[in-house]
Amino acid sequence: FAAPKASFSAVLLSASCDAASLLLKKYHGGYVVLRFALAGHKQANRPFYRIVAAYNKRARDGKYLEQLGSYDPLPNISNEKLVSLNFDRIKYWIGCGAHTTKPVAKLLGLAGFFPLHPMTITDAERQRAQTELTATGTEDGLREGRKEAEV
Amino acid sequence: MFQVIGGRSVQAARVLAPRSAVLVEAVRGRKSRTDPVAKSKVGRIKVPPPVDPEEMVVLKERYGEYQMIMRALRLEARQEAQEHRVLMDLNHLENQRMLKLRIVRVQKEKEEADRKKFEVILQREQEQQEIVKEKEKEILQLQEDAKNFITLENLDQRIEEALDNPKNYNFAIDKQGKVVKQTMLQ
Repeated sequence: FAAPKASFSAVLLSASCDAASLLLKKYHGGYVVLRFALAGHKQANRPFYRIVAAYNKRARDGKYLEQLGSYDPLPNISNEKLVSLNFDRIKYWIGCGAHTTKPVAKLLGLAGFFPLHPMTITDAERQRAQTELTATGTEDGLREGRKEAEV
Repeated sequence: MFQVIGGRSVQAARVLAPRSAVLVEAVRGRKSRTDPVAKSKVGRIKVPPPVDPEEMVVLKERYGEYQMIMRALRLEARQEAQEHRVLMDLNHLENQRMLKLRIVRVQKEKEEADRKKFEVILQREQEQQEIVKEKEKEILQLQEDAKNFITLENLDQRIEEALDNPKNYNFAIDKQGKVVKQTMLQ
């Protein structure tokens, strides 16, 4: 984490994160996830996601525990995709033992809060290999075309 | 696989050129488990995407590292949350203590203020009483003097007395302060 640690040396308590959430855990019987939920803007072909802490078995857009940020998948005028993250609360939920979905993990990795996800690196490498292949392919094609033209 | 559609979408779909008499649109997942395989898919063998072994090795290493770091981060977050809770509890206790002290202090100050006010009131009352006493003394003095006043009845008598007893107010004084009352009276 980028945030500094507390310098106070405390006795570690074995109690769980939330006293109230134990009851809820018994009721839900599941775990908490940080995931994307579509914000219901009721407009076709214009998605907008909220980064949300919710119980695992809840509907994707259903009742959540807390909103921890947002993600706009469509780029704006300056060709930016806007993301907002509440790092303080994210850290709290991770401390409470929340899981993350893959896209949220990748996003947090890109943000620098988590380490970079392996698939981000792998996909980038694959894409670079692909572009190099097509570049060399076009070069060869151009060279062949020029040779044919000369010949 | 195909479903008959009707209604508003019919007009648009008609323009988009169906040759059939009935308008149809594609719907996913129409086949149930017992339906036979389609003719076009009879000999199909589903093959998973090919895996590059070198890439796989590198990926496995990266995943291992990633998961280790994630475990460490979770532990750190947990510890931080616990510390935070401890600190908040301490803060709460401190607030309670300060509240008690503050209540006692405020009580004392209030009592002091009340006492001072009371004292001021007493002082005022005492002053009032002294003024009243002074006034009474003056009244008594006046009453005493009133006995010697000259009234209409006494007028003749007093005139007779004054004429009978001439009083000599003259006196002499020298620089040393010696007073001499004996003078020449005509």
